[in-house]
Amino acid sequence: MDDAKIVNLSLVNLSLAYGLVLLAIGLARLRRIGQEGQMLWSSLRMVVQLFAVGYLLHLVFSVRSPLAVIAILLAMAGFALQVMGGRIKQRMPHFYRVMGTSIFAGCGGVTFLFCGLVVGYSPWYDPRYLIPLAGMIIGNSMNGASLAAERLAAEIHERRDEIETALCLGATSRQASDTAVRRAFRAALMPTMNTMAAMGIVSLPGMMTGQILSGTAPIIAVRYQIAIMCAITGAVAITAFLILLQGYRHYFTKAHQLAEEGQSGQ
Amino acid sequence: MNVAGDGQNMAVRLENVVIVRHGRDGQAVPILSDISFSADSGEITAIVGPSGGGKSSLIRLINRLCDPTRGTVYLDGEDIAGLDPLWLRRRVAMVPQKPFMFEGTVLDNLLLPFRYRQEPLPAADGPEVGHALELARLDPDLLERDSRTLSLGQQQRASLARALITRPRVLLLDEPTSALDRPTADRLSATLHDICRSQRLTVILVTHDLRLTEKIADRLIYLEAGRIREEGLAADMLSNPQSPELRRFLAEPDRKEP
Repeated sequence: MDDAKIVNLSLVNLSLAYGLVLLAIGLARLRRIGQEGQMLWSSLRMVVQLFAVGYLLHLVFSVRSPLAVIAILLAMAGFALQVMGGRIKQRMPHFYRVMGTSIFAGCGGVTFLFCGLVVGYSPWYDPRYLIPLAGMIIGNSMNGASLAAERLAAEIHERRDEIETALCLGATSRQASDTAVRRAFRAALMPTMNTMAAMGIVSLPGMMTGQILSGTAPIIAVRYQIAIMCAITGAVAITAFLILLQGYRHYFTKAHQLAEEGQSGQ
Repeated sequence: MNVAGDGQNMAVRLENVVIVRHGRDGQAVPILSDISFSADSGEITAIVGPSGGGKSSLIRLINRLCDPTRGTVYLDGEDIAGLDPLWLRRRVAMVPQKPFMFEGTVLDNLLLPFRYRQEPLPAADGPEVGHALELARLDPDLLERDSRTLSLGQQQRASLARALITRPRVLLLDEPTSALDRPTADRLSATLHDICRSQRLTVILVTHDLRLTEKIADRLIYLEAGRIREEGLAADMLSNPQSPELRRFLAEPDRKEP
């Protein structure tokens, strides 16, 4: 991987780069067009934040305990769950239980399969691989999961008449909610499908660009990108599937009745 | 012949049924209060009253689209809470207010009750489909049509045929004529009357259409604010209302021309 020479930026190099910002600030001051303060503040923030993250990752990557790495992964997933909870307005009944177990099983399963079987580094918990890969998988699944949950709630709300007509005709809850579940699954997969279709033509993925800049041969970077996209697709699909499989039930009672709006069936 | 259920004639009976829902603030809102009545086979019972009075909730109880908070609903003397809801809905069919047509042809829609139950599908020219078409007076030429291209009146008939194809004992109708123009509504009500008599069906319909009630209802239940205010023979009640609530309802100017 690191057979090519990587240009290591020294602090002097970095200062030169920061000189570009100072130049911009100087120009703004000279022409009195404002924004100097803003530019200075934002750029300093960026420097401090990135160094902090760098040292944090340095610290994390030196962790040699599988339990500690798993704790970090769980914290990431918990944070994702919290972000989703805040963002989704129409929450399904038992939202956190459904989302939590689905993300845990979907992302956890795919991450460990991917890291263990596909990348196959050792030790299996090496945080240098596990944490960035899990981050990409959880981040993408989080979007898919939000879309699945949101779309399911909306579909069931909009299709109340259709669902109750089906129930009247002898459908089970599963049969009656079939269309709603399909639509929600489609919505959850859409962004990943679109990204894959445009990849390489419209956009060069950030991970691949980063690897190439840091000296990895493009063909190797491409292989990594393909593998990670497959893992993301799998994780998004499995997470969404688990959410929908558990989620639709909570809109119904055991007697195949559509629960009142805003009240959980079970 | 059992003593309590009065045998064959007592098809549907409600006893002291109460529905209470909980609003957003957690406060209990009564939807239906202490409802008791029975509907016999071969008779049409109309449930009439102002909107928001609990009419729809009342018929939704009978095929268990919802359950009462308290009280019991009987079908032929049996408590329906103990019956499999999927089995119950074969005996107690319902035509919802909006005749929802699923994707596909009219025939696809008619066969849905069999498809849902994973039973062998009857042939398009077989007796089941023929019987349903005949009862609902739906033109057999429409079978192959895309169901979403039907007129509203045709959709209402297709929805009726779809409900009748499994030969239910009880037919529940929620505002069957509300979306129809008057001639179409009149033809549909004549059809309903004939089905009820020829099949000895128990028909319970919710409506605010007094014209329909006058034409076909045998019995009438006047429901306002979740309570039965008056019940009896439809003809008597419409010509000689006893309760102040029903009198006021009948006197509203828009009642004459729905």
